Amino acid sequence: MLLDFSQLGWWRIALCAVAGVAVVFLLAPLCLLIALSFDSSQWLQFPPPGWTLQWYREVLADPNWLNSFLTSVELGIVVTLASVFLGLLAGFALARGNFPGREMLRGFFLTPMIMPSIVLGIALYATFLRLHLAGTFLGFVLAHLVLALPFSIVAITSALEQTDKSLEDAAMLCGASLWEARVRVILPAIRHGIFSAAIFSFLTSWDEVVVAIFMASPGLQTLPVRMLGEVRQNLSPDIAVVSSLLVLGTILLMGLTALFNKDSKR
Amino acid sequence: MSGAYLELRNLRKEFGDFVAINNISLRIQKGEFITFLGPSGSGKSTTLYAIAGFIEPNAGDVLLNGRSLVRVSPNHRDIGMVFQRYTLFPHLTVAENIAFPLRVRRRPKAEIEAKVKEMLDLVHLTPMRDRKPAQLSGGQQQRVALARALAYDPQILLMDEPLSALDKKLREDIQAEIERIHLETGVTIIYVTHDQEEALRLSDRIVLFNHGGIEQVGTGEDLYDHPVSTFTAGFIGNSNLIDVHLQSGFPHLPDGTKLYNYQPNREGAKRLMLRPEDLFLAKEGIPVQITGRTYLGDVIAYMVRTGWGQELSVRTQRQDSNLQAYVGDTVCVGFNHEKAYIIPE
Repeated sequence: MLLDFSQLGWWRIALCAVAGVAVVFLLAPLCLLIALSFDSSQWLQFPPPGWTLQWYREVLADPNWLNSFLTSVELGIVVTLASVFLGLLAGFALARGNFPGREMLRGFFLTPMIMPSIVLGIALYATFLRLHLAGTFLGFVLAHLVLALPFSIVAITSALEQTDKSLEDAAMLCGASLWEARVRVILPAIRHGIFSAAIFSFLTSWDEVVVAIFMASPGLQTLPVRMLGEVRQNLSPDIAVVSSLLVLGTILLMGLTALFNKDSKR
Repeated sequence: MSGAYLELRNLRKEFGDFVAINNISLRIQKGEFITFLGPSGSGKSTTLYAIAGFIEPNAGDVLLNGRSLVRVSPNHRDIGMVFQRYTLFPHLTVAENIAFPLRVRRRPKAEIEAKVKEMLDLVHLTPMRDRKPAQLSGGQQQRVALARALAYDPQILLMDEPLSALDKKLREDIQAEIERIHLETGVTIIYVTHDQEEALRLSDRIVLFNHGGIEQVGTGEDLYDHPVSTFTAGFIGNSNLIDVHLQSGFPHLPDGTKLYNYQPNREGAKRLMLRPEDLFLAKEGIPVQITGRTYLGDVIAYMVRTGWGQELSVRTQRQDSNLQAYVGDTVCVGFNHEKAYIIPE
């Protein structure tokens, strides 16, 4: 092989150095942020003059942060459920259906992925104002669903396409109705796809900020929206704390995913 | 009228301009082992899927026990099927897979448990009952699929090239197992294959498909000894086909040799079929030159060229071959004139 690692000789050191620099470049800001969250200085001084857990106590006691957090979680869960459900319906249509315009529909479903989110945000805001949905939880769900659905459809459709249709046929000959076959046999067979769809949908909603700014109202703010507002008004250690907690949450979520994948490989 | 168990009546299926099944009619008796044999694209699988209910025919009817199945959806047809690809439900164990059709039918728990045990016993897989399909070999998976398809005592069992993904040795083992299960259960089986050896070995009757139609129906011996067409003669076993001319009922070879094999009411150009094992090397007969010789242990296969320039294949038993011949030798090929079979088409 041209690029066989063991054949590279001295280039190996250069390669490792480049990789090391890349890792540092990607992780250093995060490490800095986490360090700042324990910084005893109120002005995000670096290197920190001392260490404290004071900011964590403050953030956890602040009902505003808690409210935004809960809003984000609720929104994420509702969006995930709706996205997976609709993704399944669309996935069956795209993977199993045979109708004119199927390929066009497949492309159309993906457009929110390439549409600039600022455009989407403005368009949704203008529409929802008319429908009296702006600033409501339902409006928020619908807006994030637009963004999350493509990921869900892609994950579920590809899982379905990798699952042999004979599996469905076999279940039907065993006496199951079409929907019974799909629920009892196909859903368990594509559970990986469903799980990825759920994770992607949740994360899409969870860290989305552009469209969320248009949907938010003073009483209904997601965590990223509050964080952005906070950064712009007063740069406080609170931000570092919330960010660090988010990093922690993400790591836990990734661990959960790895665990699920490992478990289902057996 | 005395009952065909399964009857296909003028069945027809088109996909656009392509006629996949061209007005097929067929009657199958209860307990028969029927093979649908034919090259790919000949309509055998399409016909099987029409019986299963996954393909809706454009015309014609499928009758099981005198009842039309065409409007019945696959889950109400009470048909068992083993597919070409592995179709065990990946999240269920072997026992749960076999129990699935019974659970769907909401049978009592004790009955399900007893039936699963009986089926595992039938396919000799009792020790594997708690394994997942991914932990089984291909052959084991197809045996579980067979057990699952038989668990609800279906009226008919369909098998769509179930062994095509397995290697030769395993295939022969499972063929023997399928034969045994057919004997033990007495279930009516329709088995699709493109492998003529498999068809000859397993079936009571073979249905030979060609271009969406049925070329010939009969026992393996019927098809081998009395093919109705050059297609059958070529598809089942090897054959030498010689153009002959019939004059006053006697066939004449291209070099003018008259065969003493009277064919009443037949005149003109016909085709003669001679199986390679019906030919032997002799002192007299058709003069030929040996162009190839392959020693195969129990038989010796020769290729010979006749005076009129046609290559013939000859297979002689090793111990019968008192005449040794090698490439380049000029010898004669003899045959029993009564074995010479004129293809009727």
